[in-house]
Amino acid sequence: MSKPSSFSLRGRKALVAIKDDRDLSIVRRQFERLGIEIDSGELDSAPERRADVTLIDDEFLPLNPTMKRTLLGGGPIIALLGTETPSRLKLLLELDPASFLVKPLRSAGIYAALVLALERAERTNELKQQVVKLEERLRSRRIVLAAVLQVMHSHAIAEPAAFALIRRAAMEQRKTIEQMSAEIAAKGSLPRATG
Amino acid sequence: MTKPYIPVGIVCSQSGPYQAMGREILKSALMAVDEINHSSDFDFKLAAHVRDPHGVIAEYHTVCDDLIRNTGVEHIIGCYTSASRKQVLPIVERTDRLLWYPARYEGFECSDNVIYVGASPNHNVLPLVRYVLDNISRHFFCVGSNYVWTWETNRVTRELVTAAQGSILAERLLELGESAVEHIVDEIVRRKPPVVFNTLVGSSSYDFIRAFNSATTAAGLDIPMLSCSLCEPELKIVGPASAGCITSSAYFESIQLPENRAFVERWKACHGETSSPSVDGQSAYVAVYLLARALKRAGTSNIGEVRRAAIGNRYNSPQGPVWIDGDNNHCVLTPRLAVSNAQGQFDIFWEADAPVKPDPYLSQLDVDVRPSRGGSSLDTPHLRIVK
Repeated sequence: MSKPSSFSLRGRKALVAIKDDRDLSIVRRQFERLGIEIDSGELDSAPERRADVTLIDDEFLPLNPTMKRTLLGGGPIIALLGTETPSRLKLLLELDPASFLVKPLRSAGIYAALVLALERAERTNELKQQVVKLEERLRSRRIVLAAVLQVMHSHAIAEPAAFALIRRAAMEQRKTIEQMSAEIAAKGSLPRATG
Repeated sequence: MTKPYIPVGIVCSQSGPYQAMGREILKSALMAVDEINHSSDFDFKLAAHVRDPHGVIAEYHTVCDDLIRNTGVEHIIGCYTSASRKQVLPIVERTDRLLWYPARYEGFECSDNVIYVGASPNHNVLPLVRYVLDNISRHFFCVGSNYVWTWETNRVTRELVTAAQGSILAERLLELGESAVEHIVDEIVRRKPPVVFNTLVGSSSYDFIRAFNSATTAAGLDIPMLSCSLCEPELKIVGPASAGCITSSAYFESIQLPENRAFVERWKACHGETSSPSVDGQSAYVAVYLLARALKRAGTSNIGEVRRAAIGNRYNSPQGPVWIDGDNNHCVLTPRLAVSNAQGQFDIFWEADAPVKPDPYLSQLDVDVRPSRGGSSLDTPHLRIVK
């Protein structure tokens, strides 16, 4: 399957909620140029729809529950901003937009907003996955500490050496340090001293 | 019966860093205006209001504002750099006027108030890079001016080259107008890259080509140089050192079409036997004709009507058939590749089988499609004799 250029948006799907016909036609034309498939169907009665990116007009804020269900599963959000008042921005922040465009729309800016939103979403997902991993590791620190203490006592060695011993055993058995520590803590079995 | 005059603005710098190209654009645009005013095909005349922003970017907005407010022009032909076009965009959009932009540019723009007459990136960068990947090398040494044209050209080149398992050996940038090129030439001689892609503009490019030619000749090296911007007037400025540069363009003086032979003949009659039209100048000439034909078709100078009349209206120009694509206001035109020769001309060795639809956002580009596969006119150029 051919891979598009990293800045080519061809084949992406966009969910669009825009009130003004002129703004909508500008978005449609620009999306056609970029090869983006557009879904601007009925928003009040539709089930949740999948999309790579969602454009939401601030005219629709606050979103009713049905629109929330329909729109908020559709990838990163680009907000279309008509008013810059704090009250409007407060409503907008609830959507956690990845990018924004100022109304009335022009063709200029739409491409940049899309690229930034998709890139922002990708980086945010990477960060979220990283946070999950770090939280898991944080939760397992207690087990690692218990295993280190056990090895320190049983081998009569200092903490750095005990940790190095566990790490080497984990590497030899192709396990994570946390898994190795859990085995030591659960079974009381010690990693065989190597070297 | 006296023909009515329709005012048009012509905005190009006659001094400053781009004066050479600005003068080419002005000469060609005025030549087209003169031809139209003397032609029985048109029941109106164009009144050219020329403005010179002197290469000062902020001046472009000022002169266009003056043309729109005080002269009542609805159509402006001109701007050369993207920076100048960006200055003019807000005012033509706000006042709903049309800018007819003649220069090839890096793409990624599409205003309803601009007609982009020059080449889109899929017309010049793609055919050149794909030809080199298929026929010369997958490893490029890039040297260019530090501005948007080079950045975007190099980005596209990098994507194509990387997808072909090639590499960008170096990317050396010089500030606009910089003439200290020796360190880059020394590096090229030392590293002996298989190909050098030159996106320098103006005097930097001329200095580089001369120094490159002299150093590689002395070292006994034969390294092909590539360009997407070199044109005949520049070959004359550089001299014999400019021979051998593989260049991508929609227009060369050597195009063997009756329309071009007539155009070149008229050009030389106006500007001297030894002078040559340039790609951007010819593009300005085409822009004036596209505008005049649209005005004639619309029967009014109203922007909306003229835009509608211009779309898809095929014009057999010096560079071949040209028309405006209604999807994006850019021109459909024919990409070509040529090699510069010692006589200050280009020998064309490839041209697309048919005019190519513009793709300003490169949304149709598949970087990993090997050009030798597939069947669109964006495929790799294969060497063939162009008669």
